[in-house]
Amino acid sequence: MPEIFTNIALQHYLIVGGLMFAIGMIGFMTRRNLIVMFLSSELMFQGAAINFVAFGAYWGKMSGQSFVIFILAIAAAEAALALAIIVLLFRQKHTVDSQAFRELRG
Amino acid sequence: MKTRATIVMYHGRLAREWKAKTRARCPCYKMEFVVEHSYLIPLLPLLGAIIAGLFGAKVLKQRSHWPIWLGVGASAVMAIVLLVGMLTHNTDHKTLYFFSHWFTWINAGDASTGIFNVSAGAFLDPLTAVMLTVVCGIGFLITVFSKGYMHGEAGYFRFFAYLGLFIFAMCMLVMGDNLIVLYLGWEGVGLCSYLLIGYYYDKPAAREAAKKAFIVNRIGDLGFAIGILLTFYCFGTVSFFGDMGANPGFLQKIAEMSMVGPDRLEFWIPFFLMIGAFGKSAQFPLYVWLPDAMEGPTPVSALIHAATMVTAGVYMIVRLSALFVGNEAAMITIAIVGAFTALWAGLIALRQTDLKKVFAYSTVSQLGFMFVGVAVLSPVAAVFHLITHAFFKALLFLSSGVVMHATGGELDMRKMSGLKKLLPKTRILMLIGCLALSGFPLLAGFWSKDEIVHAASTKSLLLYGVLLFTAVLTAYYTFRLYFRVFEGPEVIPQSHHAGHDKHDDHQHADHQHDDHQHADHQHADHQHADHGHHNHGHHNHEPMSMMLPLFVLAIGALLAGIINLPFAAGIKEHSLGHFLSQSPSFVLGLQQVEKTYPAGLSETDHLGFGHAPTGEQAFDIVPLIIGGAAAIVGIFIAYLLHLKNRPKADELAGKVGFIATAIDAKFWVDEIYNAIIIAPLRAIGGLLWAIDRYVVDLLVFLVGFIPQLTGYIVKRTTQRGYLQGYALSMLLGLVVILLWVFV
Amino acid sequence: MVDPHIAFSGAFQTLAAVESNPTGIVATAPLAPAIVVALCVVAGIATWLLLPGKREAAVRRIGGIILLATGLVFGAILVRWTTQLGGMSVYFWGFSAIAIFASVRVITHTKPVYSALYFVLTVFATAGLFVLMWAEFMAAALVLIYAGAILITYVFVIMLASEATTGAVGAAAEEVGSEHDLLSRSPFIASIIGFALAGLLIFLILDKGAQIPTPNRPVAGDLGSAQELGRNLLEENAINVQLAGVILTVAMVGAITLARRRVMVTPHDRSIETVVSPGTPVEDNPHSIPVYGTMNPRHKAYPET
Repeated sequence: MPEIFTNIALQHYLIVGGLMFAIGMIGFMTRRNLIVMFLSSELMFQGAAINFVAFGAYWGKMSGQSFVIFILAIAAAEAALALAIIVLLFRQKHTVDSQAFRELRG
Repeated sequence: MKTRATIVMYHGRLAREWKAKTRARCPCYKMEFVVEHSYLIPLLPLLGAIIAGLFGAKVLKQRSHWPIWLGVGASAVMAIVLLVGMLTHNTDHKTLYFFSHWFTWINAGDASTGIFNVSAGAFLDPLTAVMLTVVCGIGFLITVFSKGYMHGEAGYFRFFAYLGLFIFAMCMLVMGDNLIVLYLGWEGVGLCSYLLIGYYYDKPAAREAAKKAFIVNRIGDLGFAIGILLTFYCFGTVSFFGDMGANPGFLQKIAEMSMVGPDRLEFWIPFFLMIGAFGKSAQFPLYVWLPDAMEGPTPVSALIHAATMVTAGVYMIVRLSALFVGNEAAMITIAIVGAFTALWAGLIALRQTDLKKVFAYSTVSQLGFMFVGVAVLSPVAAVFHLITHAFFKALLFLSSGVVMHATGGELDMRKMSGLKKLLPKTRILMLIGCLALSGFPLLAGFWSKDEIVHAASTKSLLLYGVLLFTAVLTAYYTFRLYFRVFEGPEVIPQSHHAGHDKHDDHQHADHQHDDHQHADHQHADHQHADHGHHNHGHHNHEPMSMMLPLFVLAIGALLAGIINLPFAAGIKEHSLGHFLSQSPSFVLGLQQVEKTYPAGLSETDHLGFGHAPTGEQAFDIVPLIIGGAAAIVGIFIAYLLHLKNRPKADELAGKVGFIATAIDAKFWVDEIYNAIIIAPLRAIGGLLWAIDRYVVDLLVFLVGFIPQLTGYIVKRTTQRGYLQGYALSMLLGLVVILLWVFV
Repeated sequence: MVDPHIAFSGAFQTLAAVESNPTGIVATAPLAPAIVVALCVVAGIATWLLLPGKREAAVRRIGGIILLATGLVFGAILVRWTTQLGGMSVYFWGFSAIAIFASVRVITHTKPVYSALYFVLTVFATAGLFVLMWAEFMAAALVLIYAGAILITYVFVIMLASEATTGAVGAAAEEVGSEHDLLSRSPFIASIIGFALAGLLIFLILDKGAQIPTPNRPVAGDLGSAQELGRNLLEENAINVQLAGVILTVAMVGAITLARRRVMVTPHDRSIETVVSPGTPVEDNPHSIPVYGTMNPRHKAYPET
């Protein structure tokens, strides 16, 4: 196991994280199921988390991992709230189609 | 100046010295108080107006007349004290005047641009004293009358507040020692006139009349304002007399100048000032507002539109006579306009059927006489006529107010007749007023009118003829009214509701107030079922509070002539002419006259400025006889046509159908103005409106439409409420920013 | 044991040596921007085809194949580039491939449950990547929290909020599911923009990556230790830990407040108290929304139709 986390390795991990982020974003924008949309947002969290850990490893600091802990906390909170809202919305219109909720339209 | 007076400046050491001197020498120390506290004269009515205006609605209510009574009454007392003091002021000097400096109002400019200095202060000379007495004295009588007349009106306090404000403005007008203060008062009385004409603002006719008066006066006041600006431009001061010493006012400056021709700017100043006077005093092109102004309450017609405000133009020209008399063209213009107006309005008055309208046209006509008086170099006669006219015209207006009061607001003389039983006292008073107006011998109007006619006869025979004819007309229409209303078979307008229907103009609101009156009576007298009937004699149509001022005015109308009788050299010494001749305005005016007409100065011209002629004056009784005869002829014709054989009048009118129609239509002046001024203005206005509406507004709308459209499109395309759409836009923005920053 | 670093090292060595780097020194940019753009365009179009829509299943399959091929090409280029510099471990490639593939499946599967399961796969792969980065504790925590807790919640909600399937939509007749699962929303634009972002990120990482300064401290062996992490958390991020706790508490309270059901009692059947859902708490809030004895819908928090 190499002791040195090289620049090249860092770039690879960043690319993986970026790709996951982009894929999550595409999913968030295209999928109409609210649950899947939030799954996609979790994907984006994952991508960010990979980047944090990669930078932490590169610099040899624990801060990256600490922030992943916070990401997990935020993701958990977001999941709880989002799912509560989804349940609520489902009770209102009996659907989880994001297109059905457009009360914000101008 | 030939005759220099002691300059009395009322501040500092000089004042104390003068006080000590006069106290020893002059018994009239009360006048000294008035001079020292001259600011009280305008201030007290103003205070009364403020109190009435602020507390009238809620606190004073039907007691709102008290502050005005007290304020105007105190001013009247002060004015009379001043007048009496000046009359008895035993001075050897030829001029008599006091300055009373209150404060410096405007102090602007420097030596390079010219110093524009306006002091707020009083200039008290015989002319001012006379005018103040007329304004405050008659004003006070009319406020007393108004208490009874306006009783129960909704805007009672408002009426009295305006009245107080008017007295304030009028006092400023006659007391100001410079054109700016005069202009302040000038505009102030115009405003009060507007407010009081529109007193019954819920009546469209009153609103229209108020607007008309205001707008027509604007035309005149524009000329007046230009005149003031020109005065300052030419003379560098707007003060009449400066301080009578080192700093002369523009009147002294013009007196010291040589003759000015049309190439000089000074030549045109009188013409512009004249326009203002014509507007305010209702002379020919601008007289149209005055008959309509009768929409106001009758006391207002009496005070503002007969006795005081409309004479402001005459006062102004007399005050500035040094500026006017040296300008022959201006004097001829005034003479022509005045004589023409006198004849014109006299003709229209012939066939008016509304009491107040007759008197309104009569006022216009008499003002024309006054202008002629000024123009024929006889300002004393003009002021004399101003005073007597104030008395008898106020009397006439107030009497017709009593008639209105009694007949339920009916003013149409065709609907009434023989009211002498119903209103016996009023009948006597009205008779006195009519005799005075028509110039019946030995009454006030006789002397004053005759003086003007006589002065005119020395200048131009045509002028003389026109005035004499107008005098006959005056006597005729006055007595036509009198015979129709008070003599003959008794016809009392039975129901004022009928009058209400047919006369929905200015009587309307008087009905209302009359209803109040009757409601009160009804409470007192229950068996009086039909209170529309007035011939039961149950209630008094001539309450004392209303009649008392009329008696005073009637005495004035009877006897005011004695202040300036044309004969008896002994009386001459104490006559109005002699008194006024001490005014600096008259002194300077006479100087100007002497300079302008070095050769052809007649005795009358001296008399016209109140100076005893140098030689032996032959008293000529012929003009007096002719004047008296004119009046009697007029009265006799009226007697024939309107008392003895009334149908004959209509017969005669039928024979000269076209003339009668023209007179009935008031020579179509309003229609002509409408056609040549108002209609084109309206058309231009319509055009401009169309441009504004369809061009400017279109542009504005287009400019506004673009963002609106953009907003609509953006809203419809982006704000669709889809969560993911917003996310997409956000991401797009993110990508664009990243590209911008890193690539 | 095979050294993962040299597993792929020889694969493209010759090619690299011949074509791009005769001297054996690597250029800073392994990918020309044009290639990144091309790859992203292809990937974007492939994703568009792959996303659920009114297309034939075969078309979606083609899209999947194209996307897979694009990913392989991209991976191959990266591997070739990396190999010259010592290469990356084979585990990295494996975990990365699994993570990316699972991510794509998360967003393209028409059944939410499958999406959730693919997401679990993503989490596992990510945990593997964490292990490669000496973050063993984080890997464990990720699996426990995400796969164990959050995803279970998701699956619960998917089941809770399931609705009657609307049947076949359009050409995707053989698939069964709700319309909003079977149809994507503006997939083309989203794919293009998403891959524009991805391409931008890749380009930036590869372009600017070499400029990231080298740390002067070599990586310590204790990066994965839980003690170090705990020390870091409580020494350097104590306030943040408190804040995270507060956020979690607030979220919990909020979630409970939002999701609970209210009891609605109509006047005429006061005797029968219908408890719609279990665990309805006793209402002691003065601002509580349900009002007993009213039919006014405004008095209800959520009109339940």
